[in-house]
Amino acid sequence: MSDQTHMPAGHDLAPGDEEQHSVGTRILGYVVGLVLALLLTATSFFIAGTDLVWQPSIPVALIVLAIAQMGVHLVFFLHITTGPDNTNNVLALAFGLLVVFLVVGGTVWIMAHLNANMPPMDQIMMRQ
Amino acid sequence: MLGKLDWSAIPFDQPIPLIAGAVVLIAILAVLIWVVVKGHLPYLWHEWITSVDHKRIGVMYILLASVMLLRGGSDAIMMRIQQAVAYQSQGYLPPEHYNQIFSAHGTIMIFFVAMPFVIGLMNLVVPLQLGVRDVAFPTLNSVGFWLTATGALLVNLSLVIGEFARTGWLAFPPLSGLSYSPGVGVDYYAWSLQISGVGTLVAGINLVTTVLKLRTKGMNYLRMPMFCWTTLASNLLIVAAFPILTATLAMLLLDRYLGFHFFTNEAGGNVMMFMNLIWAWGHPEVYILVLPAFGIFSEVVSTFSGKALFGYRSMVLATMAICVVSFMVWLHHFFTMGAGPDVNAIFGIASMIIAIPTGVKIYNWLFTMYGGRIRFATPMLWSVGFMVTFIIGGLTGVLLAVPPADFMLHNSMFLVAHFHNVIIGGVLFGAFAGFEYWFPKAFGFRLDERWGKAGFWFTFLGFFITFIPLYIAGMLGMTRRMQHYDVAAWRPWMIVAAAGMAVLTIGVICQIVQLVVSIRNREALRDRTGDPWDGRSLEWATSSPPPVFNFAFNPDVRGEDAYWHMKAHAQQQSLERDRPEYQDIEMPRNSPTGFVCAFFATIMGFALIWHIWWMVILGGLGAWATFVVFAWRDHDEYVIPAEEVAAIDRVNLEERRSLISMAGAA
Repeated sequence: MSDQTHMPAGHDLAPGDEEQHSVGTRILGYVVGLVLALLLTATSFFIAGTDLVWQPSIPVALIVLAIAQMGVHLVFFLHITTGPDNTNNVLALAFGLLVVFLVVGGTVWIMAHLNANMPPMDQIMMRQ
Repeated sequence: MLGKLDWSAIPFDQPIPLIAGAVVLIAILAVLIWVVVKGHLPYLWHEWITSVDHKRIGVMYILLASVMLLRGGSDAIMMRIQQAVAYQSQGYLPPEHYNQIFSAHGTIMIFFVAMPFVIGLMNLVVPLQLGVRDVAFPTLNSVGFWLTATGALLVNLSLVIGEFARTGWLAFPPLSGLSYSPGVGVDYYAWSLQISGVGTLVAGINLVTTVLKLRTKGMNYLRMPMFCWTTLASNLLIVAAFPILTATLAMLLLDRYLGFHFFTNEAGGNVMMFMNLIWAWGHPEVYILVLPAFGIFSEVVSTFSGKALFGYRSMVLATMAICVVSFMVWLHHFFTMGAGPDVNAIFGIASMIIAIPTGVKIYNWLFTMYGGRIRFATPMLWSVGFMVTFIIGGLTGVLLAVPPADFMLHNSMFLVAHFHNVIIGGVLFGAFAGFEYWFPKAFGFRLDERWGKAGFWFTFLGFFITFIPLYIAGMLGMTRRMQHYDVAAWRPWMIVAAAGMAVLTIGVICQIVQLVVSIRNREALRDRTGDPWDGRSLEWATSSPPPVFNFAFNPDVRGEDAYWHMKAHAQQQSLERDRPEYQDIEMPRNSPTGFVCAFFATIMGFALIWHIWWMVILGGLGAWATFVVFAWRDHDEYVIPAEEVAAIDRVNLEERRSLISMAGAA
């Protein structure tokens, strides 16, 4: 991490600026991203309505496709790479994922246990 | 045409808010007239209101926080008097007014005192400590400040037009739902927090980017002053947590405005989801406030002990550990609301674990002081006072983290005493320490020590006289937010607490007097060296107040405590070596974007509260147009010529050289 500060200012680039390729290469990157994103979206819609696959696998397939979609966006549009001056972005992404995991996972867990000290409704009825 | 707004919105039958509102209005008008008549308006507009200088914005944040502290403090005085007199009687505040006061007190103190105070100090100091010329996004910084001011304005407007929420500072449904709160109070609450929340979020993004991307040469992560680390941690939490608040309030507003059922009891809604989400923001919020205060104490303790901070790396680790663990404890705010023993146990243990990095910090400060040459100047008094107070608050916190104990103490005055213990003893003491410590840097003269010390002692003692009785009343079973009560045993403690409030008020008055006295004696208190405390970090390496560009040359950092090493080892060379050629400096132009944007946001917020739809569209379009105008600007920087930089810098160097020769002669 500390290497970054010793680089000349010209090398400390904002996300998206790091590829000094020609315009054509960059446009190609966006086109590939767009095609992949469209493909994943179309597949999701197709899977959701189809009866060609085993039905219980559909939710799992949709989750996998959604995660793949996020990956495509991160790589092709937000330019997250494993390059040396991307440390901050990767760390920020990791922190973001951790927080989302904690908040969403924690919420699901808490909300599923909210009635732990309450007898089910029919038991209350039966006692009366 | 005017939605729900008509003359019945003005509380003509309630003398207290009306008179208070009138006094404030007259005071504001008097100040405005004085400004216009004296011809200060152009100066204010060009140098402050449209300023994108991080130091000026920091000062304005702190000014906003100080004014709001007086408002929130007035609410506190009214509540303590009410509870002192309302034994087997109605007291002097009717219930609906009392409920508004405790709701406004909490909202104002957290969102418009503590937040702007710490963000203001971070704005003022962090770029200087990093050795850079500005924050990453100067105009965005100004937008963030003015949106925060919009939120504060809307909350205070509710005093005279309409009403404020009666729901407590977090507006729990179903009480805050449309069926139990049909008035505009909750709307005032929610819209002012939504608008100021945007301001806080952009401030957070700005400061994270500044710390990560703008550091001077050689300032790698492990050479940053502790305050920069806590700023980084605190602002990471802002960026991660504030969207949760925004989303939660947006859902509440959808319930109230468009008949959604997120948090209602019917149509599949669940009120518990609100508690869950609001505290998933609310607990990190506590650390957003207290981490910068920890940073301030680290700077102050190390400077006034004349020693490097003990255990710097463990301090960094503790800060980042708190940053992550603060997202794993939020259920301890609702242990009693039905979750089973396994859930409660896990969150209870996590809450106790977070006390460990905090304890590491306390020991580090103590070991920093150990063997040091301690100077008990006012900032140091606040820091030592903090250690004593905060340990008590922290220990009662660990007690509350034990679920069975929490079942006894939940919603009692014990809880009220606990969180005031950590927020006053942690955040407010930290803010005051930072205020006293960096005031000379911001304005070029010190604050009067005698009044400052008096202010500290009255506040410190007043704090204990006010809040220890509340702990005891909580143990005796008194619940919070009581407008009146019939239990004789609580009465004496409420009277003691009210007396303590009077002592606290004397402390606040001492600090106001300190400011006035110091401004009058500013020539005698002038700091010509830029380094009044024998400081250790880079903010003391430039003049007080710093020039607009902060540093003529960006400093070259070779280790921790950058300025201390410059002074100790390379003092002569660094100050007297042949300077390289001065160069032109480009600085961002001032911009009214922030102010204009907040102006339209205020109109939009007010119109949303009162359902004046055409005005909502007007305000929204105005704010958007302001953004478009800014986005299509042609040039946003101006150049300070090298000669001017040289002239300013040489004056500063002369002062420093004379200081060194004096020190050499002595």
